[in-house]
Amino acid sequence: MSTTAPTSLDGVAEALASGGRPRAGGTDLTVLHRLGLARGPYVDLGGVAALGGVGWRADGSARIGATTPIAEIAADERLRAAYPALTATAAALATPQVRAAATLGGNLLQRNRCSYLRNPHFSCHQSGGTGCPARTGVHANGVAVDQGPCVAPHPSSLAMALVGYGATAETRARGTLAVADLYGDGSDPTRDHLLPEGEVLLAVDLPVPEPGERAAYRRATARTAAEWPLVEAVARLVVTDGRVRAAGVAAGGVARTPLRLTEVEQALIGRPADAAVLAAAAALAAERCRPLPQTGYKVGLLRDTVRDVLERAAEQG
Amino acid sequence: MKLTVNGAVTGVDADPDEPAVRTLRDGLGLTGTKLVCGTGVCGACTVQVDGVPRASCITPTAALADREITTVEGLGGEHPVQRAFAAHDAMQCGYCTPGFVVEAAAFVDGWRVEHGDTEPSREQIAAAMAGHLCRCGAYQGIYAAIAAACAGRHDEPAEPARVDAAAKVTGAARYTTDVRLPGQLEGVIIRSPHAHARVDAIEANGVPLVDLRPADGVVRYAGQPVAAVAAADHAAATAAAARVEVSYTPLAAVTEFGSALAEGAPLVYDTEESRKSALSSAEGANLPGRWQGNLHTTSGLPLPGGGTAERRIERARRRGDQRLVSAVYTTAVQVHSALEPHASVARFDDAGHLHLYISTQRVSAVADAAAERWKLPREQVHVVAEHVGGGFGAKANLTADAVAAVELARLTGSPVRVVLDRAEELTDGGSRPGSRTELSLLADERGRLAALTVDAQGDGGASTGSSVGLMARLMYGTAPRRIRDSDVLTNLPPGAPFRAPNGPQLAWALEQAVDEMAHRLGEDPISLRRRWDGNPKRRALYETAAALPLWTGRPATGSAAGRFRRGVGVAAGNWLYMASPKTQVELTVERGTVVARSATQDLGTGLRTVIANVVREELGLPADRVRVEIGSSDHVPGPPSIGSRSTTSVGPAAHDAAVRLRTALREGAGTAGREAPVAALLDGADGLRVTGRRARDRGGYLLPFSVADAAIGRGMSGAVHVTEVEVDTLLGSVRVTRVWGGLAIGRVYAQGPARNQAEGAIIQGVGYALFEQRRADPATGVLLTDNLEDYHLPGIGDTPEMEIHFHPDGWEYVTGGGVGLGEVSAVGVAASVGNAVYNATGWRPLDLPIRPDRLLEGINR
Repeated sequence: MSTTAPTSLDGVAEALASGGRPRAGGTDLTVLHRLGLARGPYVDLGGVAALGGVGWRADGSARIGATTPIAEIAADERLRAAYPALTATAAALATPQVRAAATLGGNLLQRNRCSYLRNPHFSCHQSGGTGCPARTGVHANGVAVDQGPCVAPHPSSLAMALVGYGATAETRARGTLAVADLYGDGSDPTRDHLLPEGEVLLAVDLPVPEPGERAAYRRATARTAAEWPLVEAVARLVVTDGRVRAAGVAAGGVARTPLRLTEVEQALIGRPADAAVLAAAAALAAERCRPLPQTGYKVGLLRDTVRDVLERAAEQG
Repeated sequence: MKLTVNGAVTGVDADPDEPAVRTLRDGLGLTGTKLVCGTGVCGACTVQVDGVPRASCITPTAALADREITTVEGLGGEHPVQRAFAAHDAMQCGYCTPGFVVEAAAFVDGWRVEHGDTEPSREQIAAAMAGHLCRCGAYQGIYAAIAAACAGRHDEPAEPARVDAAAKVTGAARYTTDVRLPGQLEGVIIRSPHAHARVDAIEANGVPLVDLRPADGVVRYAGQPVAAVAAADHAAATAAAARVEVSYTPLAAVTEFGSALAEGAPLVYDTEESRKSALSSAEGANLPGRWQGNLHTTSGLPLPGGGTAERRIERARRRGDQRLVSAVYTTAVQVHSALEPHASVARFDDAGHLHLYISTQRVSAVADAAAERWKLPREQVHVVAEHVGGGFGAKANLTADAVAAVELARLTGSPVRVVLDRAEELTDGGSRPGSRTELSLLADERGRLAALTVDAQGDGGASTGSSVGLMARLMYGTAPRRIRDSDVLTNLPPGAPFRAPNGPQLAWALEQAVDEMAHRLGEDPISLRRRWDGNPKRRALYETAAALPLWTGRPATGSAAGRFRRGVGVAAGNWLYMASPKTQVELTVERGTVVARSATQDLGTGLRTVIANVVREELGLPADRVRVEIGSSDHVPGPPSIGSRSTTSVGPAAHDAAVRLRTALREGAGTAGREAPVAALLDGADGLRVTGRRARDRGGYLLPFSVADAAIGRGMSGAVHVTEVEVDTLLGSVRVTRVWGGLAIGRVYAQGPARNQAEGAIIQGVGYALFEQRRADPATGVLLTDNLEDYHLPGIGDTPEMEIHFHPDGWEYVTGGGVGLGEVSAVGVAASVGNAVYNATGWRPLDLPIRPDRLLEGINR
């Protein structure tokens, strides 16, 4: 069997059933293929019209097809008005070229960027071996919330933003599940998402937009662009009469899974959106950290990145 | 499969899962598209797919089906962006240029439709170009070019800033990686997976193989070449390499600088014999020295007053003297990572001549070395480097790619190409050794320099040759000083000369110590340097720098409050002036054109343009009457592109040749021609040939002899950098916002390329200061930064606004009046960033790079 490009979902299912591996933008799969970490035959999803594009329901909520390019999400005016935290995240990740080719589904289901995983000299839990050479070696970019044997942070910025919205995913076989449930609790060191082989992510469904939502996204990096975040965070706030009425806060770059920071949200809701409240709420994010020897700096950086997005979200409007 | 490329439908036999860049380059021969990072980071492989820029190294070939593909070749050459890149000198080596141009063309076209002919902001341009990297650092020109093209200022052709600009913006410039010879095979190098091992046996299993083992059969770093094989194409060669069985006896390895001197640490070189032939990061021969385990102490010339310096500092330490500044400064290993990797293509012709295409900074020396190694008469060796995609010091020798290509070509009877992939390049392509420098500086009660001691340890992996302290002998007067240089050996890839070898490491320590001293003395750091620094050319730069609004408006140290803090720092740079006295330039009149030839090469410095400018100016010729042919060892002797000596050597030789040509033309034309313009005499002078030489400097050189045609001239070149940063004290990032670079190098032969190179030195210095750090796995010695996602080069968004100031005086005794700038411009940049961070925050960074985690820890301590 060779690489195929079916035009219907049934065609995709058939190709996957005979051992194919789904490919959307191919931006990472092409690299993994070259490194010998992924093997075809590939099933190109780009020809299946039903998998792409943004749709809107009567209640004002959006459904985004799995093969919608990230650049399209970032540039969609209506999405920007309804889900500003999502579009801000989409606009800030990777580079224009990657955003043009990479898709929502590919971003959610991508492999992590651990340099040990991608180096053919090493084997680890993720590449079929046992153990984690990063844990005993260099893990300065690793997790600060140690959830399990693997120490590579989850790479998907969009997953973080969607977790912050409480969005759901629809898959072909399993139906609807929370986006957070694509990832579990981070204790499985062998993979970056929990969908079984042969499964296809169809779309992501967002909840009804909150009128008046203000949002901010930040990735803490050394360079100005094109760098995987040390820590990233996104905040959505609805502020009425100076008080926080609703909040969604999530962070990435610190754990095996994207994290929704409900403790931070709880500390905000019903309180005035002033600097002291925001700082105190952000400080709670640090409490769940259990850093590795080289990631102690991420504890404070997580707190301060959360503080940055809360302050910037609160300043708007 | 069928592809529509540049408007034409073509059939190509391609694997749909291979990256599109391979199909375009290897399948269709469209070599304007470059393969560099392979991970979608650098953008050199950018093509337009239905008008949208895509990194073709992360695009499966299958994704090109039923699309319109436009490569750089398809832009034609008259696109406003191509004209703008040429006019604004938005390039140096040119290897990244096609990718930038293809992306910028889409951006500019889209911008003009949406916004009319207006200029985008720097931020907008940076965001659009975020997926591209230029290792030379030509970003200032790229900003200017894109802004001007958007504003509609390049709809008509304009004069290019460098003579090879047209070739570079169209993808026509041919680099070694683009060479395709009939019947050419592809070679692949087999490398040691062990950091330290004895290679017991190599079983070729029928594969054509050459042995690249070190003489003693011991490999001393993971990634060291062991053998090379060749096959019809890259995939076949990789498969052939997998069939070869190499048996190793692993030896205990030391992979961390910090543990190499511990008792019982495994020895990298454990025998007299192996120590004598140890790898070296220095140009030329090994520096003599003394071995104690993994410590190699260089025997430098002892300085008078060393004991005095030590005693004064020791006494000052005991009495707790505030005028003693003493600290340990460290720098990380910086990888050259030229965007064109090391690459060679070798062919033996029927007469037994060797033709070696190689990405090199030294066509002549490589030809000499090849003749010696393979026992060929020198005139039977022809080395070609038409365009060179960056070098920065690491492409000066007969490297493993060349040895493999030549020996495989001899073995197989076919031409063989060997191109390192990015992982190989970042592992074995050269690096600036890291350093640990303990430096003490003492001022007397009148604020004069009283003593200086430097104890520097180089971190050059398995190589010796670090000499960080050298420049400390040659700066800040003649106060007593004691300088000690050593190498700490580890089983990690070796260093190589890197643009101002050892200079930035020393400046990081010395220039921060001088800054600290100024702070202690309550004196302006520029004014202190003016008192201490005897170099008259640099004193002129201090005068100018001190009056800059950037400097006079700097905040008091530590006075800034709030999250974002601004700071300004200064640092000086000092470098040797060298020249190649045997340099010649030959001029030949060919069909009405003057053709200049010399066995030198242009790796982005603009040497072609230097030669063309000098000849055109002297003879009053238009651009199309002068052509420069360099990059071949067959020409008259030319200088290497190392040691900042190519321009100062070639410029005067080209001038001398031009004068001779005019004389010869006028003589040939008799009385009628005496007053005629040179252009009018060319048509009747076909075949006329003259050779120009570089006359000796007035007063000669510092030393009466020169080694390998490298004369050390009299006088030191100077630089001063004034740098502004903005520190985000919440999230730990540092942005370099403005830099003023003053250079005392005398005459500037080609303004555009000179400025560009000086700006590039600032960009590389920013990378060195903030981002670049090689990292290895401690258990295995395998590099983790063997890709451009993990090894961080500065991008266009990290580019400060820059102003370059050339001080013209002080080099009147030098033939031609100007010296090189490549190295002196690179010495002090990182130190000026360190001093600016100190000014902004009151915290002095001692360790490079100034990563967010280090900064946050430092300012919150």
